[in-house]
Amino acid sequence: MHFGHQLAPEWIIHDHLGLVGLPHFRVENGGNTGGSALYAAALSVMSGHHDVIGIVGWETMDSVSQSQGAEFIAMASDIRYELMVGGIYPIYYAAMANKWMKDNKVKEEDVASIGAKNRNNAMDNPKAQWYRNEHKYITVDDVMNSRLISYPIKKYDCCLMTRGVAFLLVCSEEYAKKVNPDGYCTIDGNGLSSCTIRAGDRLNNPGWTERYEPNYPEMTEFGACRNSAEQAYKMAGIKNPKKEIDFGEIHDAFSTSEAQIYKALGLADENTIAQFLRDESTHMHGQIPMNPGGGLMGYGHPVGATGIMSTIECFYQLSGMIPKKHLSKKTEVADAECGIVNSHAGTGTSISNFILRRGK
Amino acid sequence: MSGQQIIKKKKKFADEPNFTEKKTYRPNDVKETGLAFVGHEISDDGKVMNQFLHYDQLYTIRHGWNSPFFKGLLDGKIMGTYCPICNDTWVPARTHCWRLNCNLEHTKWVEMPLTAKVHTWTVAGWSGRSSLKRLPIVLIYAIIGDSKVAIANELHKIKPWDVEFGMPLKIVFKPKEERIGAVTDFHFEPIDNWKPSPMNKEKERIKKLVEPVYEWVKTMK
Ligand SMILES: [Zn+2]
Repeated sequence: MHFGHQLAPEWIIHDHLGLVGLPHFRVENGGNTGGSALYAAALSVMSGHHDVIGIVGWETMDSVSQSQGAEFIAMASDIRYELMVGGIYPIYYAAMANKWMKDNKVKEEDVASIGAKNRNNAMDNPKAQWYRNEHKYITVDDVMNSRLISYPIKKYDCCLMTRGVAFLLVCSEEYAKKVNPDGYCTIDGNGLSSCTIRAGDRLNNPGWTERYEPNYPEMTEFGACRNSAEQAYKMAGIKNPKKEIDFGEIHDAFSTSEAQIYKALGLADENTIAQFLRDESTHMHGQIPMNPGGGLMGYGHPVGATGIMSTIECFYQLSGMIPKKHLSKKTEVADAECGIVNSHAGTGTSISNFILRRGK
Repeated sequence: MSGQQIIKKKKKFADEPNFTEKKTYRPNDVKETGLAFVGHEISDDGKVMNQFLHYDQLYTIRHGWNSPFFKGLLDGKIMGTYCPICNDTWVPARTHCWRLNCNLEHTKWVEMPLTAKVHTWTVAGWSGRSSLKRLPIVLIYAIIGDSKVAIANELHKIKPWDVEFGMPLKIVFKPKEERIGAVTDFHFEPIDNWKPSPMNKEKERIKKLVEPVYEWVKTMK
């Protein structure tokens, strides 16, 4: 009974789309719901069992007040240990980011530039919540001067709470060639991984230390992001993500987490991440633009729809539809052949990554 | 086969508990109403209607094998668990070892020291509805004793900008009669005689960010 007043509303939607008799089931995985649904759909098609699968995600977060909404989301944290000690997700993420930034010599201004970037990208996307509501270009100073949420995170370092829905069709390549021969893209790699529900349980967890190295992922790194990206890269034959991926639509719940994700995706390491940020490598003019569609901070974060929203933006880029879907070519990644989609739940508790390429 | 009675022998997982020590601290204004439509509104052009549905439910959280931790809080104790094979220790407790090599060994309970150190920290200027009036909140993840994991809780008796990584802490419980067996029964404080380091650029920055929060909280009803 959280944002939704109706249990299993997908049954109503399915009926009203005229699909009675066809299979339906719910995928629910926190903020990684969209990514997990895409994962399930891709596997179903790859298995040969289904040819065409529609995935729909939504959230109606405006059905309650913002602080009540934050508390609802926090019920995905371990309510026995975390919820009642003043905890909501921005606070957990802030505690993780504070140490990460110190460990990686990243400054508040460095991550603030991500908050400004994604909102400014959203100003070119007429469907974006930032475009439709606040509707202004902002600077790093605006982010730095926005109100404290939880140090080092300020209001403009945070994603938006959103009412929204997204729909995507996943099908076999033969079917795509039949119905949309010039405008489809392929899912060439997918990965899904997990981590502890409580961030504090990651300091010495054998699940990670035996797989990677001692003291990994600490409370600072997203092990599930690194792991699922490695799976997706392997499947798509990607050896050097920074060179081989043209752009991404990734889970910027906070500007700090977008920066942490860059590292988990292997775009930078502890020695290079600060400079990677200062070089504006992920701005539209950078080497690998991230969230040209505005991301969660600019486009919006309707939790159950978000991963699908990111995938759709990635699809637009790869199928040459940006000039039609956005207001200009400013947020088009020219000649994009390969994009990454990232979907993220909990404090990094479930993370999926997908490599999408332009259809041949 | 008629007339033959088949008696199944089931191994009992656990005896059904008999709850005798009961305590209620429900605020007077909390009422379980269940589902109720409590109102509606219609737009001036008569085209759109909103309806208000209220739902209020009491949940029972059975702590099972984790009960000693929550019961310990009532007694002013922090209970952790350790693995008798590898000796890893945890607060928050684990009922089974996290090492596959230990074959999910059932852990044993141990009373932890009431000392800890800051692993990481943040200063919250905004929170969930039920915490807004307590802002700003210093939330830390702290390592209690030789625990392999960090636990989240609030740090009191400190200026928000004075928190430091690794700073030594003591665990302070609420008076016995106020405890409810939840993690809010305790908080962290700096150890006695702890002195913050002098003001620096970052501390000034946090102070500047936090000051409006104090003002904002004063305006709340
Ligand atoms: Zn063990």
